[in-house]
Amino acid sequence: MIPPEVVPLTKMVSQDQINRYADASGDHNPIHIDEAFAKASPVGGTVAHGMLTLAFLGEMMAAAFGERWLARGKLRVRFRTVVRPGDVITVSARPERGSDDDTHVYAVECRNQAGEAVVSGTAEVPARG
Amino acid sequence: MAAPARALLTELPKGHEFSTTTFSLTRDGVSRYLDAVEDANGVYLERGLAPPLAVAALALGSLLEVIELPAATLHIGQEVDVHAGVPLDTPLTLSGRIAQRSQRAGMIISIIEFDVTPEGSSSAALTGRSTVMVPPP
Repeated sequence: MIPPEVVPLTKMVSQDQINRYADASGDHNPIHIDEAFAKASPVGGTVAHGMLTLAFLGEMMAAAFGERWLARGKLRVRFRTVVRPGDVITVSARPERGSDDDTHVYAVECRNQAGEAVVSGTAEVPARG
Repeated sequence: MAAPARALLTELPKGHEFSTTTFSLTRDGVSRYLDAVEDANGVYLERGLAPPLAVAALALGSLLEVIELPAATLHIGQEVDVHAGVPLDTPLTLSGRIAQRSQRAGMIISIIEFDVTPEGSSSAALTGRSTVMVPPP
């Protein structure tokens, strides 16, 4: 079975969104929300939570596969570089070798406005509901 | 109530088991999460199933309440496997452990593994593996 195309998603990350994500997730690490602290750190300014960027991947897969993703999805990713407030992140999925009649496999990635991969990896979802 | 004692991540050996805790994802909590990530898909609340990345984020957040991370710690990898939908408004049991720890050129890399099991279920609905790296001081 050929895996269906997945519609890419583009999102702009703001400091306000990072702050709301910190409240919703309970992750108030100052590297995400304290500009003065983050500026003095090796990353040189606040950065988005890695799990916030992954949420964009989850949104794309849930939009494409609905309950199949919620009930049987799998994701394996590496974080390649940081996402900063103001970055525009495009999330995409490309059918990958390894798909069969039971499972769709995709190479997934998140790229910033400069075209740099900030997250890359694979996602799997059952081929049938 | 006093906050639980926090253990420094870099001092936790492979095999360290965290105390089992419980948490839940309420509809209100998931709505706040969806608002924060700006995901307007109605499927989660219609089906009563949590977004897998919300479950993983909150599970990891719960574990990090008892782990002290050095300021420069980087989250470098994440795996999430959903074995069954995670229902909303249901108590969830969280267990976690240090699955791997390695040290190379002063860097410490730890893999934190966790399982989330809904009340009344005998097996995990979601498992995760978070890889974090602590650079040399």
